[in-house]
Amino acid sequence: MSNTDLEDDLRGTFERAAATVPEAAGLTERATAGARRAQRRTWIVSGAAAVAVAAVAVVGFGLAGSHNQPTQPAQPPVAGAQAPAVETLTPQVLSAQAVSGTWRPVEIAGVKSLKAARPEDPVLTLRPDGTWVGSDGCNALQGTYTIGQRGAFTATSGPQHMMGCDNVPHTGVLKAAKRVALDGDALHFFGADGLQLASYARAR
Amino acid sequence: MEFEEYVSARGQELVRLGFTVSGDYQRAEDLAQIALMQAFRSWRKVRNTDDPHHYVRRILVNEFLSMTRRRSYGEAPTADVEPQRTVPDHATNIANSDHLWRALATLSARERVVLVLRYYQDLDDQTIADVLGIKPSSVRATASRALASLRKTRESHRVDERLS
Repeated sequence: MSNTDLEDDLRGTFERAAATVPEAAGLTERATAGARRAQRRTWIVSGAAAVAVAAVAVVGFGLAGSHNQPTQPAQPPVAGAQAPAVETLTPQVLSAQAVSGTWRPVEIAGVKSLKAARPEDPVLTLRPDGTWVGSDGCNALQGTYTIGQRGAFTATSGPQHMMGCDNVPHTGVLKAAKRVALDGDALHFFGADGLQLASYARAR
Repeated sequence: MEFEEYVSARGQELVRLGFTVSGDYQRAEDLAQIALMQAFRSWRKVRNTDDPHHYVRRILVNEFLSMTRRRSYGEAPTADVEPQRTVPDHATNIANSDHLWRALATLSARERVVLVLRYYQDLDDQTIADVLGIKPSSVRATASRALASLRKTRESHRVDERLS
């Protein structure tokens, strides 16, 4: 077979393949919303980094100041300025009460489509009594969880059906999660390696 | 040109490009979305270039190549809760009907991208080299290797057909 034949066949194959791609809806909205979200995240991270740097600087200066003025150890000159930064960095005390509520997935590692149409809303509800229920989009899910004051997290899952759809793997997230962090209306789950597994937003 | 105008004119084209390089519809949409997101962030700069589409296409293709280098590429998200999909798998339909499409899946990501840019996007080797950030001679070598591999696969397929 000549190269030209193969090249012609390749053109045909690519054209046929491309023609099967269904119309993608809402590309503009998804792209702009995604970019804005990423921008907001960058600002939050930059803000947190700035606060951390400020806190380290303030603590550093405070220590230096106390070394230089050993006669006044009880009242460092910058104690007042130190307080807000330290407060910002203090981790929120967590409990089943604090995280209880219904959450919708915003981002799950390795899951590309969280917006696909599904028979049910793929939400996750954490109850204050240490049980959780939810839906992966087409199957009811349930189980129990524990949460430590510093965010240590464990979960178990009960029996569930495995009907196929664009399933959202809440169970996988909860079982793999070792730590949880609450940031306003956002709930983040982290794995044993410290990397974020998923983030959820409080459902209104 | 406003961003919205660009997306409505060329967005679907990007999804198709994503599909021809990845062979996966879901991934194709992700690739198009990532490329558009990145372009949106610096749209003022992008729209002032000679060819905004060339810029966005470059983002998409390079994002695909980076994606294939990640260890997680091709892994299912969570094995215990990911049952069989019921969403129509377009890639499977094509694979069943076109053995050349199947053979393309055996090529390396870069080989496949070079063939797609050359035979689907009709780009010359210099432009492909610019998209991929490599030399035109590398583009030619990659394309030649890929074509040889496809020819070989095709020959063996024909032998199998004759024997069966």
